[in-house]
This record gives sequence, C-alpha cells and structure tokens, in this order.
Amino acid sequence: MGLVKGKAAQPAGNTTSKPASCEELAAGLESADAAVRRHAAREIPACADAGAALVSRLKREEEIAVRAAILTALIRLDDPVATAGLADCLRSEDVALRNEAIEALKELASSGDRAGAVPPVLASLLADPDPDVRIFAVNVMESAPHPDVESWLIEAIERDSHVNVCATAVDLLCEVGTEAAIDPLVRLKARFASEPYIQFAAGLALKRIREI
Amino acid sequence: MKRGLVVKRILIVDDAATVRMYHRGILESAGYTVDEALNGIEALEKALETPFDLLLVDINMPRLDGFGFLKELRRQPMPQPPAIMVSTEAEARDEVAAYRAGASCYLLKPVRPSQLLAHARLMLGEANK
Repeated sequence: MGLVKGKAAQPAGNTTSKPASCEELAAGLESADAAVRRHAAREIPACADAGAALVSRLKREEEIAVRAAILTALIRLDDPVATAGLADCLRSEDVALRNEAIEALKELASSGDRAGAVPPVLASLLADPDPDVRIFAVNVMESAPHPDVESWLIEAIERDSHVNVCATAVDLLCEVGTEAAIDPLVRLKARFASEPYIQFAAGLALKRIREI
Repeated sequence: MKRGLVVKRILIVDDAATVRMYHRGILESAGYTVDEALNGIEALEKALETPFDLLLVDINMPRLDGFGFLKELRRQPMPQPPAIMVSTEAEARDEVAAYRAGASCYLLKPVRPSQLLAHARLMLGEANK
C-alpha cells in the first residue's frame, strides 16, 4: 500500500504500548473486527497515502459506524485523493454509499477554507457522461459557497440535454439564482415546453428571482 | 368534503423543495390531504405516528434514503400503505431494488400530473375515479 510511517495514536484499550504504525493502521482498516477498523479509520489520517486506503475500504465497508468513521476521516483529510475518491463513490450502485459521499462532499464544499478542494471536482462531474453523476454534482453544489455555482447551473440548463439534470439545476436556481439566470430559464422553458415539471420549476425560479 | 367521504392522506418524501411543491399541488388539486418529509428519518417518524394511505418516496435523500426508509417501515407491525417510488434513475437495477425495498410501483422523474394521479388512484383503490 505504500503508507509512509508517521505519528499515529495508540489503539483503543492499549494505552501503554507505543502508537500504532501506519502499516499497522492500514492493516487495521482491513481487520475482521469492526472496532479495530473504526479505530484505524480515526487514526490513519496522520499517515501519508491514507486517502487511498480509506476510499478503498469505504467502498467495501458494511458496518455503519465504521463507514461514518471513514467518512469523517476523509473529510478531515480533505486532499485531492480523498475528494476524488468520494466523487468516485457517486457512481456506486449502493444508494446509501452514494448519499454518504454526497453529504461528505457537501460538508467539504461548505467548510470555509476547505471549499477550494471541491470545485475542480464538481466542474469535472458536471461533464460526466452519466446523467445521474451530473445530478449528484448539482446536489453537492447546494452547499458550495463558490462564486461560479450560478454560472455552472446556468451552463447546465443551457447545455445539458437530460431533463432531470436541468430539473435539479433549476431546483437550486430557485434558491441561488440571480438576474443572470432569467434569460437561460426562459430559454429552458421553451426547450422543454411539453415538460410540466420544468414549466413549474422554472416558473417558480423566475418568480423568486424577480421578487428579489 | 362530502359528508361520509374520507379524504385520503398522502405522505411526500423528497429532499427537493420544488419537487415537493409540485407533487403537493397535483395531489391537493385532486382532493387529497398531503404531508411532507424531507428525508427517510423524518418520513419514518411521521409514518409511525400518523397513518397514511399512500407514500410518494424519492430514492436519493440525505440521512436515510428511500430504500432504507421503506425497508424499515415494512418491518414495522402496522398497516402498510402502498408506496410509489420516484427516481431520476432509469437503470433497471434501481427499479428492482425499489420493489425489493417494498415499493408498490416505480415512476421516473419528472412525473407528469396525469401519470401521478393515475398511479395514486390505482394504489388507493380509486382507479375508476
């Protein structure tokens, strides 16, 4: 796995022994004992290359408490590997894992000084060939205080051919849209003239923007 | 409401406010009473507290997704309302997973008003309405 030795805290219940090494923590992530996996997940962010090990385990982990510890560790890490790993989970067939990844990315996107790590990934996800991934990217944007969010949403409703990607983008434009979104919303209504939901949601967004 | 008629209660479970408003408008215009939940946890709390005649459930939601909500509800020793699952996901695996979780039918978003009402009436035993 290539984990570099570094400082790590002592395993639970073993306070007199020396701290676990990064190799031990990496092995702990693969332990049959959920408590050991959870402990390793909490401690391993201090090690180099922890992101890859955590993401690998997350995709296979079935214990809710261990998944929670891994997600918390990935959020603490907030490095490109962790962010890319979470983004990759959006393609999972496991609905719970997808939603956990969305929530973790939202937390990363919303957390002030860390918000810079997520936008490049979001921009890439919005160009993904899978419309579901593009929808999840829009879901993450709800929490991203990034100046480009509105322009990304406008780009989506102008260019994306998938009705549900546009619908999800319009849902968010209802909250964050400004006058810049008015003409694109009008064009969207014309493009999906026979789609009742788009008519409803775009109409609602236009009404809210004009009331601002 | 006409005397003697019982208004059917429907719970909409979706994290998207605009979707909830859209579905609520369609169902209320047909005379149904509607309540809302923003995720599976809130839906479970409401469904355990108040009997509903029909559930309209999204799949992807924070905290507890639609599959998790339905699976947990179906384990409860109580009258089980039918559930229409709505999703943006067109993959066959999602439809199969919905039925396995306890859905009665599966609709793809965006749902048309006539489509939603037809399925709601069918699920509520009002197909001739």
